[in-house]
Amino acid sequence: MQDDPLINVARTLPRSAVNGPGERFVVWVQGCSLRCPGCWNPDTWSVKPRRPVRASALAQEILGASGIEGVTLTGGEPFEQASALVHLVTPLRQAGLSVMAFTGFRLDELGDERRRALLSLCDVVVAGRYVRALRAELGWRGSSNQRVHFLTDRYTPAAVPDAPECEVYIEPDGSLTMTGFPITWHTR
Amino acid sequence: MSAYITLATPMIDQECLVAALVDLGFARKEIEVHAEAVPLVGYRGRARQQLAHVVIRRARVGSGSNDIGFERTDTGFRAHISNYDHPRYGGSWFSKLQARYAEHDRVKQERLAEIEARRREEARQQLIEAQRKAVHAKARKMGYRVKETREGERVRLVLVKRVY
Repeated sequence: MQDDPLINVARTLPRSAVNGPGERFVVWVQGCSLRCPGCWNPDTWSVKPRRPVRASALAQEILGASGIEGVTLTGGEPFEQASALVHLVTPLRQAGLSVMAFTGFRLDELGDERRRALLSLCDVVVAGRYVRALRAELGWRGSSNQRVHFLTDRYTPAAVPDAPECEVYIEPDGSLTMTGFPITWHTR
Repeated sequence: MSAYITLATPMIDQECLVAALVDLGFARKEIEVHAEAVPLVGYRGRARQQLAHVVIRRARVGSGSNDIGFERTDTGFRAHISNYDHPRYGGSWFSKLQARYAEHDRVKQERLAEIEARRREEARQQLIEAQRKAVHAKARKMGYRVKETREGERVRLVLVKRVY
């Protein structure tokens, strides 16, 4: 295992209130072999390097972000870069940040050692494929088959919002960035 | 009859040229500005073949003088100054004129840049405001409550679905 592996990152958001409990730094990783039909982030499927970042450098960036209580790993498929992400989240946990991950795998599909290692560092995992036919307006989930797993006692189901939330940033140049779960927004 | 000497100049802005002439002692009302070029007049009162858009008439130029004129061209004003008047309105006077022109041009460019920057900033603010209003309106229509905060220049809108 490399000491400071590269993580293939699609993008990051230093602060978000709708990608897990509280204010969180969000990392969208690049690369996903699951390719769920109807996925909101198909640009993150390709495994071609997009923004390769050393785990230690990204950890420093996250630790330097102000006002956050944790980091959220999403994508792309975080568990397909499990080893590298273990290097990322280990120092974050040591610094007291919580870890949440969105994965298209079910929990029982995360059995191999590397994936279990990452899972063991997560407080909350939202797991399961996105199934377009089961699309639903739920907190943190895009389809009703997906499950929210609380793996530590840091958070409880009370943290899950009753309905999807989304966040819009209007950048200084007037461009819009949107994140979260705006199902109605996307589909009308 | 004194021949005219013609000098090509890099001066292209009429407003700055007139302001520079005023700086060198001509009253604004003594400087004629014409949309169409007019003939310059020699010391005997005869029209000469030289044409100009900006003219200082001979009476103001000096005793026995000819008109001084500046003819607008695509590459800059062409100065027409008679041989007779050249000792007074030649080399050093002309250098001073160009220096004053350069200063007025610099100030004008700065003023224009400021106006342009202000215009761009207003347009940017209007765009952000329009985006903000559009997000609010759409969110309301879709049943979202909006929590708005500012992070420096960024506007952050958190949309929370209303659940009854």
